[in-house]
Amino acid sequence: MPDPSSYILLGAILFAIGMVGFLARRNLIVMFLSTEIMFQGVVLNVVAFSRLHGRLTGDAFGLFLLVIAAVEAGLALGLVVLLYRRKHTLDAESWSAMSG
Amino acid sequence: MIPYILYVLFALGGAAIYLAMPKPSGSQRRAALILGVGVIAGLLALMSIHFVAPNSNNFFFYMFAGLAILAAGRVVTHPVPTYSAVYFALVILCVAVLLVIQRAEFLAVALIIIYAGAILVTYAFVIMLAQQSGAVSTDTRAREPLMAILVSFVIAGAIAGKIEQIDAVPVKLTAQVPQAVTDVPIETALPATEMESGHTKAIGEIMFGPYLVVVELSGILLLIAMVGAIAISRKQVPIEDTGEPKLPVGQIGREVPPF
Repeated sequence: MPDPSSYILLGAILFAIGMVGFLARRNLIVMFLSTEIMFQGVVLNVVAFSRLHGRLTGDAFGLFLLVIAAVEAGLALGLVVLLYRRKHTLDAESWSAMSG
Repeated sequence: MIPYILYVLFALGGAAIYLAMPKPSGSQRRAALILGVGVIAGLLALMSIHFVAPNSNNFFFYMFAGLAILAAGRVVTHPVPTYSAVYFALVILCVAVLLVIQRAEFLAVALIIIYAGAILVTYAFVIMLAQQSGAVSTDTRAREPLMAILVSFVIAGAIAGKIEQIDAVPVKLTAQVPQAVTDVPIETALPATEMESGHTKAIGEIMFGPYLVVVELSGILLLIAMVGAIAISRKQVPIEDTGEPKLPVGQIGREVPPF
């Protein structure tokens, strides 16, 4: 089994790539897919720390992360459908009027 | 020394993602792929030299870690959302394999069932529901890609630099952590036999032992989310005038004669 440092580095990279996607893409669906990639990085991280300490707390935390991811996906996609029905576009910038 | 090599690799990786980002002038996919594969190879070589004991065999870790990074890069840069979702499934499978390597079998299987089975299907449905015809500027032009890459990889670089600093101090945390500094219950300690035979039983005992209240709260959270999602998506919304001609009701799609 590799050292936990490798997993933490990999988790950081996945988190960064997901953040790039969330900030740079304009399609609402791809933005939320990118947040799911960030979740994957976090899950790898908590399990790696769990192994570092020889305990199962991180695994339990990873399971609760899955619950949060499912909740987030359900609500976010409901919101995307609502926004799409209003403007008939998935462009996040079409809602920039809200920035004032 | 090692952090600086990591920073250079992150800068090159950011450049690869920048090249692969969808742009109106067309992305330089081939150059981005070569640069990205080179960066991943360098990263894995650095991991194998610096972070891992030299006598351990970690071929599958390197293979699936590299594949996960490559697929994640493709998710955020692909101009077609459907393909992004398929590459995301690849990321999920790679992460599941990495969890199995860490002996978290239950978490890996739950990840595949929940993500690839439920969440990804929901995404696929919404992509179909909100499909726009042809290539639209939403997908072919990124918003401030340079700033986004800069911010994200500076954060990743900060984390990576910290990993190096922690490793420099010879702190070895094992199962014998003093109970005073960790306020986790003693039942969550992982017995050696559980590590040998998989940890599904152990994680069940934790979930329905010390974390029972959290499990119940998760159920309530899922219920609230379900009610919220139904309330959001059933809401009647006024269609804002987008300048497009509206089709009358019943004339959407092709006409099919009855039987």
